[in-house]
Amino acid sequence: MSDLTWMVPLPVVLPLLGAGLTLTFSHRPRAQQIVTITVLALVVAIAGALLVAADTEGPQVVWLGGWDSPLGISLVADRLATLMLLVSAVVTLLVLLYSLGQGMTGDESETPVSVYHPTFLVLVAGVANAFLAGDLFNLFVAFEMLLFASYVLLTLGGTGARIRAGTIYVVVNILSSSLFLISLAAVYAATGSLNLAQLAGRLESTPDHVALILQLLLLTTFAIKAAIFPLSFWLPDSYPTAPAPVTAVFAGLLTKVGVYAILRVQTLLFPDSPLTDLLLWAALLTMVVGILGAVAQSDIKRMLSFTLVSHIGYMVFGIGLASKAGISGAIFYVAHHITIQTALFLVVGLIERRAGSTALLRLGGLVRLSPVLALLFFVPAMNLAGIPPMSGFIGKVGLLQAGLADGGWLAIVLVIGGVLTSLLTLYAIAKTWALAFWRTPEQAHEMARALPEMEGSTEHTDQGMVVHRDHVHVAGAAFGRVDLEDARRVVDDESPDRDLYQLLRDGALPSRLPGSMVLPTAALIAISLLLTLVAGPLFAFTDRAADDLIDRTPYLSAVLEGDS
Amino acid sequence: MLALVAAHFAIAAFSPAFVHWWGRRAFLVLASVPLVTFLWALSLTGRISDGEVLVQAWEWLPGLHLELAFAMGTLQWLMALIVSGIGVLVLAYCAWYFADDDPALPMFSGVFTGFAGAMLGLVLADDLLILFVFWELTTVFSYLLIGSDPAKRASRVAAMQALIVTTLGGLAMLVGMLMLGEQTGTHRISEILADPPSGDWTTIAVILLLVGAISKSALFPLHFWLPGAMAAPTPVSAYLHAASMVKAGVYLVALMAPAFSHVPGWHEIVLTLGVITMLLGGWRAIRQYDIKLLLAYGTVSQLGFLLVLFSEGTRSATLAGLGMLLAHALFKAALFLVVGIIDRSTGTRDLRELSGVGSQMRWIGIAATLAGASMAGLPPLLGFVGKESVFAALLDVAQSPDGDGTGLSPLAAWVVLGGILLGSVFTVAYTARFLWGAFATKPGTAPTVVRPVPVGFAASPILLAGATIVLGFVGPGLTHLFEPHLELYPEGYHHAELALWHGLGLPLLFSLIVFALGTWLFTKRIVFSQLQAALSPSRSADGAYRAVMRFVDRSAVEVTGLAQRGSVAAYLAFILLVVLAVPGAVLISSLGDGFDVVVWDNPAQAVVGALTIVAAFFTVRSRRRMRAVVLVGITGYGTAMLFLLHGAPDLALTQILVETTSLVVFVLVLRRLPEYFTDRPLSPRRYLRMALGAAVGIAVAGFMLLTTNARSEDPVSVGFPGPALEYGGGRSIVSVTLVDIRAWDTMGEISVLVAAATGVASLVFLDTRISGIRRVYQIPYPEAVQKIPTGPGRRVWLPGPRTLSPDRRSIIFEVVTRLIFHTMVLLSVYLLLAGHNHVGGGFAAGMVVGLALMVRYLAGGRYELDEAAPIDAGVLMGFGLFVATAAALVPLAFGGTVLQSAEFHFHLGILGDPHMVTSLLFDVGVYLVVIGLILDLLRTLGSRLDRQILREERAEEQAVRL
Amino acid sequence: MNANLTLILVASSLIGAGVYLILERSLTRVLVGLVMMSNGVNLLFMIASGPAGNAPVIGSTDLDDMADPLPQALVLTAIVITLGTVAFLLAMAHRSWQLNGNDDVQDDVEDAAIRRLALADEASDSHDLSMSATEEDAATDEVYEEEGTTA
Repeated sequence: MSDLTWMVPLPVVLPLLGAGLTLTFSHRPRAQQIVTITVLALVVAIAGALLVAADTEGPQVVWLGGWDSPLGISLVADRLATLMLLVSAVVTLLVLLYSLGQGMTGDESETPVSVYHPTFLVLVAGVANAFLAGDLFNLFVAFEMLLFASYVLLTLGGTGARIRAGTIYVVVNILSSSLFLISLAAVYAATGSLNLAQLAGRLESTPDHVALILQLLLLTTFAIKAAIFPLSFWLPDSYPTAPAPVTAVFAGLLTKVGVYAILRVQTLLFPDSPLTDLLLWAALLTMVVGILGAVAQSDIKRMLSFTLVSHIGYMVFGIGLASKAGISGAIFYVAHHITIQTALFLVVGLIERRAGSTALLRLGGLVRLSPVLALLFFVPAMNLAGIPPMSGFIGKVGLLQAGLADGGWLAIVLVIGGVLTSLLTLYAIAKTWALAFWRTPEQAHEMARALPEMEGSTEHTDQGMVVHRDHVHVAGAAFGRVDLEDARRVVDDESPDRDLYQLLRDGALPSRLPGSMVLPTAALIAISLLLTLVAGPLFAFTDRAADDLIDRTPYLSAVLEGDS
Repeated sequence: MLALVAAHFAIAAFSPAFVHWWGRRAFLVLASVPLVTFLWALSLTGRISDGEVLVQAWEWLPGLHLELAFAMGTLQWLMALIVSGIGVLVLAYCAWYFADDDPALPMFSGVFTGFAGAMLGLVLADDLLILFVFWELTTVFSYLLIGSDPAKRASRVAAMQALIVTTLGGLAMLVGMLMLGEQTGTHRISEILADPPSGDWTTIAVILLLVGAISKSALFPLHFWLPGAMAAPTPVSAYLHAASMVKAGVYLVALMAPAFSHVPGWHEIVLTLGVITMLLGGWRAIRQYDIKLLLAYGTVSQLGFLLVLFSEGTRSATLAGLGMLLAHALFKAALFLVVGIIDRSTGTRDLRELSGVGSQMRWIGIAATLAGASMAGLPPLLGFVGKESVFAALLDVAQSPDGDGTGLSPLAAWVVLGGILLGSVFTVAYTARFLWGAFATKPGTAPTVVRPVPVGFAASPILLAGATIVLGFVGPGLTHLFEPHLELYPEGYHHAELALWHGLGLPLLFSLIVFALGTWLFTKRIVFSQLQAALSPSRSADGAYRAVMRFVDRSAVEVTGLAQRGSVAAYLAFILLVVLAVPGAVLISSLGDGFDVVVWDNPAQAVVGALTIVAAFFTVRSRRRMRAVVLVGITGYGTAMLFLLHGAPDLALTQILVETTSLVVFVLVLRRLPEYFTDRPLSPRRYLRMALGAAVGIAVAGFMLLTTNARSEDPVSVGFPGPALEYGGGRSIVSVTLVDIRAWDTMGEISVLVAAATGVASLVFLDTRISGIRRVYQIPYPEAVQKIPTGPGRRVWLPGPRTLSPDRRSIIFEVVTRLIFHTMVLLSVYLLLAGHNHVGGGFAAGMVVGLALMVRYLAGGRYELDEAAPIDAGVLMGFGLFVATAAALVPLAFGGTVLQSAEFHFHLGILGDPHMVTSLLFDVGVYLVVIGLILDLLRTLGSRLDRQILREERAEEQAVRL
Repeated sequence: MNANLTLILVASSLIGAGVYLILERSLTRVLVGLVMMSNGVNLLFMIASGPAGNAPVIGSTDLDDMADPLPQALVLTAIVITLGTVAFLLAMAHRSWQLNGNDDVQDDVEDAAIRRLALADEASDSHDLSMSATEEDAATDEVYEEEGTTA
């Protein structure tokens, strides 16, 4: 097979090129669509080719601009990176198709396509660059690319709720970026280099306590991106307000970039001090606190955001074990989770489209209303809950086996925690299913009205969950800074004032879902099921990837005396 | 075997279509697959009874020791027959049970058939994990089936209960399985059973497996979900919750018993819970009015009974168990189906309303009576045969010295036997109650109106009842068939055999006593009921479940309320505290040895530094927005000075340009915001903030001290100068680094700028990215200005009169601006070209143009800006990004790598003839992007806000006028 | 390599002051704080680049007393990104002012709602599922007694 290293930068350059073009053609939506789709399709193809190359011929390395080691910036496409690249490329392509199908309706006025396309492409480029980066500072730049793009996408339309959510997201991430820069300054001060491969060598000669500090600084930075407890609280407040496809791609990819960074840096730079216990504790708390959050929610989007956080814990669990089995399981789980979480948020978008809301208080009877939708929700939801034989189950089994093989008491505790988490995930999902899909809209309407303190004013019921909470549960206790006015503002610009029952009664809903939205969703779900069929080879692949990470020589040799 | 299982799922996938075409008759088609399975299993009878074991296995996930393995020995064969056989009958029964127009039918048919497949897979699986896969699938399908009338709240709740309870058990079981696998290195059931591991690890694993079995087979204290599950349609109850799924736990125990019945805890757990369950179920069954619920509690009782038998671990008990297993499947399914018929044809299941049904549906009555008799253990039915051998087997355990090989103490064995006897009494009692309640003609109750029952509807129960008779007579034959499984156990105290006649002896006596007491209990039902009402326990397991779930919900809310403060400040504080706690702690621990420091490289640093710090201090204190911004600007300029003093002129230049731009942008926005930050009183919180700030500052200082001192090697950049000149073709190493060595970073950086600018635009022009440029000639002259005709061709030198209200004009400023503008643009071009060798570069150049544009805007307003740059900012940036990336790609065409650059010379008139490198093209891209950025900021935060302000002013004027 | 005390002092005080500001409620102040932090952070790179020197322009000085160019390039990138940050956050502050009449950072509403639930010792909306599945037979007991007495 011919040398493919020249391809390595393309997954970053092509989307940027596309971003430039789509901006230049601001006035021609059609052209923009063509450009974007072509670029993303190309990226998928390239990622696939690189995956094969990395698996058959070892890591593909390119020194950009021909500035060889140790001067320039290197991009490295090894097994792990290419796998992440391929999965994310496929997911982004499908999400884009979905958002085209959606025509960003529901945000028709809010989201000018000429903002959407370039920003989305920059996001894709940033993600790809983060996976390929062989240089810590370049990793920082990659993060900034995807972050800025995400800032824009998150605040599309600038509604009250999105600005509120956006503020939390932006400020937290800017702080984490500063933290990243501080860590980089420290790393450079201590070693005089930022290239990962060189650092791997130089850090061995740095004193242990200094190395440990550097490791912890980087870990903290990445933990914020990956939303690991106690650095995870910002996520559920910020993701759910964005338009469905945006939330989907965020949930699927952004946190995983953080996980990837942790995995890469831990294994490559600090193989001797894996900080096992620290990571395991973090994983446990992430899982449990996260899933409890999911149980507490009464809006599907937020519920899913919390399961997202919670399941990050599984991956950290695998990384924390620092054994081949653990890391392999973690990688597999990442691949699974990217597809499934994205798919679920796309489905939620469909729900919003079909039923006008995602608040459990307003939903009901979706099984009857749209069996297709029910199927599209049920399958990935059960997959998320780890119901066999789907990929979630396989990933979980891999991690649990790794935990039991480890045998340490903390690992055992993690196994128990993991099992409970998946049970609670199932509970949260079954709750959603029972309320939104089984219960009839009339019942939902009646229940909302029948809530004790609600009598008299249907307006309040119609104001939706938040305000309804004000009436039902506050019992006069003025709590927090959010008063009724703020609450009402959010509810008003977030979702219509009528619940599903009323919307149906008034015939205010689209009678069916556009195929252009359903098809990408279905395709993504099909892919997630495909993961089960190819689980054998895929797991073998992640095993090989884990091997590469643990004995670092493939990476190091490829970069340092690689053929470039 | 795999093929058969797959066939089930395949036809399940199509069943909605079938239902769509043929309505409820589709079930007859669906029944074909289980029928084939049944015949296939039947055809194997000979080979199985010769002790043969069929095995199929495929690799699936070697990484996890997960094989797609199936095996069929005696036990699996029996289960397969039950599952498929009853499956056929129930599916056929569905064809009459449902109405064609039932909207739930398509989904139901699919799920139901799917369940049959999963159940078959479960009993055939020879890999623990595969078994778990099907185990969980049955759980999910049963969840959907229980909820198949979702409008009923009770069924939703019941479905949830069943799901949570059985999944909890299932997950415990999964961990147990993985532990076994971890120990034996395989998940193949046959291999594990062949040489079972031992030790504490095994004990725990096995107990976890038992938890799974207990939850699935509804043993106390996890029994409560089963009665609830009766919310499902009757065929579901008959199949899942009587004949097949609830037997899964029994099956698992029966499977494991030969290898693990001596594991400590096994007997204690299963025997105790089994007996309790049998008594509890019977006790509650006697109280029921809903004849379906009565059967449900009866099933709970019987399941406890079966688990006791299989967990004993003796040959005779196992044989009895197999007999009862078969018997129970037959009669319980039959009875449920009868209930369904009664329900459908009378419209009620309440035995207080039913009267004289027996006389109106005679055949069904007879079938039910036979089935009931079998349940009560009357000869000559299979139930009797089973019961007899049960008593015999338990007697062996109680009488033989070593508990017939189980090691049970005689006392324990007698207790078990007593429990079983009492349970059997209850069984007789509730059987009588059922038959009386369903069919008897009750004085004082109006005879129930019964719709005629089609033959097909009645066929299934009658067939099942028939089977109980026939099999009753072939006990020895069955014993022979079961031999291969029995041989897993040592020959017991007596030779065990299923037979109608065991001769006179205790077992027969027991049967008689049980029957007598049972019937007596039934006749005394009124008295007994009052007794029960008196004794009825205040708290049920069901209540406990609800309490637990409530607790989960509550703690979820509490924890979330605690963690999700919802405020940015809180989250930032969390992050900073983590930084202090984790790396900070290490820092403190490693501050032992001193550091080599220099106070300053040159005193000037100290002076500038002091000024900067002072500025920072006042920034923190200032309560006016503008002041804070100006002060932070000063810290910025101070930083620039420090850069310069450190030997970084490019940095200093850029910093100053950026700082100035930021200032302008700040001013543009701040004119809209209130002058003071807030009128909120200073909160005591601020001391915490100060503390946190100080701590973080100190920590960072510590990090830098530590790390700088740790440096042992030269930076990689010592290698830069040579190549920078030869290879990069530039003298200014920083510029070469930016546009060549690390051009990749720069490319990312400009894409960041593009994204940021786009974001600003999308936040300011909420509707569209296109910013409506208006040329001067499009604007009408205000009154009282002498007109000069202009058109697209002609340009005015100073458009001010036309575009600005006189009171806002400063002619001098405008004139000066017009004069310096082009000079600045020219300068920028020079910087762009010279950048490679001297201070400058694309970025600085772009910023200079940006400044020029700002001045134009500030002097002449937004129209002047559009005159200066009549182009859409977005397009400009996009083009810039395009140029840069294209420049990056070009080298690929010449077989180079991305961003590779080549050097060449050319003339540029007065600007001299510098070395040109292709990377210049890249730099041009940067240049354009930066100009675009500034233009964009001016258009959005400048022009657009102008318009908004203007609009508001006009609105106010309107308001005043009106 | 020696650490430059002055620079460290300046950098850490800028960062400290920045931290104090970003914990404020007013978005403008947060932004000011972030800008100040980033200035401090950029100085850290100067510290990391070792002793001061002359501008790294070949020919203008000999290589030995030339400042380390790499951190300079990095900081340049960082500065530019900061500019993007400033612009975007200002736009957000302005939008927030348009919506709320101030640029205060808003708290999250859903979280507030959940905290209210916690305060009122409530669980979230699962009341639908918090009842007994088998209450029918629980109910029958009473009826039974009646029948028992009448029969």
